[in-house]
Amino acid sequence: MNWSNVKLILAREIRDQLRDRRTLFMIAVLPLVLYPLLGMSVFQVMQFMSEHAIRVLVVGAPEIGQLPPLVDKDRFAADLFSDREAIALLQVTSRSSGDAAGGAASNPLELARDEMREDGFDVVVYFPPDFAERFARFSQALANSRSGKGPVNEADLKLPGVAIYPNLAEDASTAAYRRVADVLSRWRDQIGRRNLEASGIPLAAAKPFPIKTRDVAGKGQHTAAVWAKILPFVLVIWALTGAFYPAIDLCAGEKERGTLETLLSSPAERLEIVWGKLLTIMLFSAATAMLNLTSLAITGSFVLSQIPNLGPPPALAFVWLLLALVPVSALFAALCLALAAFARSTKEGQYYLMPLVLVTMPLVILPMAPGVELNLGNSLIPITGVVLLLRAMLEGNYLVVLPYTPVVVAVTLCCCLLAIRWATDQFNTESVLFRESERWGVSLWIRHLVRDRGATPSFADAMFCGVLILLIKFFMSFGLIFSDFVTVAAVTQLVVIATPVLLMTVMLTRSPAQTLLLRRPALRASLAAVLLAVVLHPTANLLQVIVNRVYPLNEQLVQALNRLLLEQDNIWILLLVIAVMPAICEELAFRGFILSGLRHMGHKWSAIIISSIFFGAAHALFQQSIVTFVVGMILGFIAVQAGSLVPCMLFHVVHNSMGVLVHKLAPPAGDETRWLDWLVRNGSAGEQLYHWPVLVVSILASAGILYWFHRLPYARTPEESLQEAIEHQSATWLAG
Amino acid sequence: MIHVRHLTKNYADLERGKIVALGGVSFDAMPGAIYGLLGPNGAGKTTVLRILSTILKPSAGTASVNGYDVLTQASLVRHQIGYVSTNTAVYDRMTAWEMVEYFGRLYGIAQGPLRERMEQLFARLQMDEIRDVLGAKMSTGMKQKVSIARAIVHDPPVLIFDEATAGLDVLVARALLKTIAELRDHGKCVVMSTHILRDAEKLCDRIAIMHRGHILAEGTLAELCDRHEQRDLEELFFDLIHQHDRAQATAAAS
Repeated sequence: MNWSNVKLILAREIRDQLRDRRTLFMIAVLPLVLYPLLGMSVFQVMQFMSEHAIRVLVVGAPEIGQLPPLVDKDRFAADLFSDREAIALLQVTSRSSGDAAGGAASNPLELARDEMREDGFDVVVYFPPDFAERFARFSQALANSRSGKGPVNEADLKLPGVAIYPNLAEDASTAAYRRVADVLSRWRDQIGRRNLEASGIPLAAAKPFPIKTRDVAGKGQHTAAVWAKILPFVLVIWALTGAFYPAIDLCAGEKERGTLETLLSSPAERLEIVWGKLLTIMLFSAATAMLNLTSLAITGSFVLSQIPNLGPPPALAFVWLLLALVPVSALFAALCLALAAFARSTKEGQYYLMPLVLVTMPLVILPMAPGVELNLGNSLIPITGVVLLLRAMLEGNYLVVLPYTPVVVAVTLCCCLLAIRWATDQFNTESVLFRESERWGVSLWIRHLVRDRGATPSFADAMFCGVLILLIKFFMSFGLIFSDFVTVAAVTQLVVIATPVLLMTVMLTRSPAQTLLLRRPALRASLAAVLLAVVLHPTANLLQVIVNRVYPLNEQLVQALNRLLLEQDNIWILLLVIAVMPAICEELAFRGFILSGLRHMGHKWSAIIISSIFFGAAHALFQQSIVTFVVGMILGFIAVQAGSLVPCMLFHVVHNSMGVLVHKLAPPAGDETRWLDWLVRNGSAGEQLYHWPVLVVSILASAGILYWFHRLPYARTPEESLQEAIEHQSATWLAG
Repeated sequence: MIHVRHLTKNYADLERGKIVALGGVSFDAMPGAIYGLLGPNGAGKTTVLRILSTILKPSAGTASVNGYDVLTQASLVRHQIGYVSTNTAVYDRMTAWEMVEYFGRLYGIAQGPLRERMEQLFARLQMDEIRDVLGAKMSTGMKQKVSIARAIVHDPPVLIFDEATAGLDVLVARALLKTIAELRDHGKCVVMSTHILRDAEKLCDRIAIMHRGHILAEGTLAELCDRHEQRDLEELFFDLIHQHDRAQATAAAS
């Protein structure tokens, strides 16, 4: 790639965008005006805001001298409040049990519902009809108990409960409930105090010590917590918005003006054009986000300074935001560019980019849900992981952030690379760049798929197949939750993996044998694959142990998995469902259909990597997925080099069988026989590990066999041959 | 200079399946001559020119420009050509000077020589008065001049014009044809497509009559008229097209 061309294109696009009034308004004018205007509006609106008066219906409030007053006319008694201003907020309506709506004292819940619906009460307090009478008996029983004169009936010492009926589905009613509950609690305390005084017991007997609450968070932490909720959200939303309009103009606009064709005939390579445009969109995305964040921070600082314990965001926050902005902008820039490349006009571009906004919004909003914190699962979700990471960074929880940072960075970079790759592919696809309007219908499309099918599946067919397998697996997992291990494993292989792949092969390809690499392999390749599976096993095992230590498995899950394996005594059945069936079904899917389709990209390693991602994702546990991804790369490499699926199946069956056999046959720690001691030892966490010399031999021998496969001449697809010819010509030209 | 052999281009269409835009086209174009692709809309002229400009990839066959293969040496081919598309495309928010300079820089011309070359070009094409005019404010004639200046700023040996006179008024079209003739006189290999018979008749040294993705006849105007016993290009053109359509209809019926 010629970076001077990229710089030229970048400079032109930036100049072009800066001459566009719409873009300037979006990235510079709007952020500078929006937040001050919003701030002014908030102050204006606050003048008209007053706290909503709460309407409380008290049914059957007892009015006897033994009790402290609860209701005073249309208010609760003043001494039941710590905050005098709150007295007027609670408007009380008192009714006796008989006067209440419909006289429905027999069903207080219905009564409360009716009163709230018909008369608009926020909350209803209900005293049972016999409360006063029971309280009188309660007081008498206490007096008898104190004096030791007269009988003390134990039943009299139990009072019926006072019920509060809020509608917790409504915010106003929920807030009212909290206030009323607080008032009733104080009233109950007053009764308790009177009883203690009457008994001559000091008040301290009931509350021997006070419970004090002291917030350990300083002003800085409160401020950081508030900004940590706002700033990451603003960053993501504006990074997307900032990428949206330039992407449309740079792709669809250029098509509309006809300048794209001219640019494509210039010496600039497609990749250079993509990078020039991508960097422009990224720059405008980042600039929009930063200007918005700065404007919000300045305006927000003024607004929040009116609130105690709050202030402007910490300066360090902007460093983290800036760091996060680079990959976020790159991701949105690439996605917008790839989507906008489809569009023939700017109007059409807006239709294509809107779904991106709809997909992004839940990912940004998810971290705001209560209880959603930075953990391994959330770190793996694109955008959500970044927002959570940023939130934790802004709150200053650096130790919490540390273990998840590599995961978030890896996921974000992976998404960025895929999006950039997609954008580049779009610019290399004639049907995208020179797309003409055509009639579309489901039946037309299905007919096209069958009628125009190639010998092997297309790239889109392969991607669809991979996604379909993951979706079916996800939904089937709910149906199989109570089934035994063997059933789950067998159904997964046959129904989830093999069936869709075979159906798609028959329907969408003209040559199932070529698609599924069903060719007789060279004997040496098959033997090499078997040998590789054997010698690689200690290395793969070590990798799994390392992954499990970095991302520890849930202990209950480990026990459940071990139980599943151990409860099946018949080792042949285990070998069938863990080794033989996956070796056939998974190889047909991932190294057969999917890899064949992906190889139309023209890059064998890109195809191998993507097929391995699907292979890894099809395994249930994240820790397992990492290792299967690596093994998938090796299997993909064998499939391409050997040109047959048979060596892959042999590798797969031997590799998985060894896992089962080592697990079932190796004696547990403490077993006196320890006949595998020369080979396997127990690690610090009880896991089985091969001895170091075995590992060294494993790594060296595996590398040697892989090198042997590398030396094999392999059958290239037409796209791979073309790509090689282009690369060869470019290299010759550069050398010359 | 340009050698095209059995060039084929297929498209996938949702409704009609595989569409053959080019069905094995072969021709040669030489330096110092104008090669004209003449044909009605949908004949495949633009597809040929887009393949020669490396904008599209052929489905089969080969094409080389100045010795470089359009498929495997696309970037080298792009240095050898100047391409003027049918829609006089210019950037709305760039001036004439900026646009020509931008493409000159993309062709790797250093700042000093580029400036000198641009001054010559602007004088030769009488573009000095539109030097600082933005693309959005230009007339069609101005845009066409900018397109030509952009296409020849790097002095390429091969020039490709796709329906260059389409939509131009008579004066601008005449000036453009004069410029193309001058380029030929300077030893350039010019390939142009047109459906205007008079332009082809006046300007082209060799003509290929295209229809439905095939070259029906190819040669100098005199050769073509003699070979097909027609008195002028118009008669020849309609005769060949009707013959081809009749033959296809007969083949389809049988």
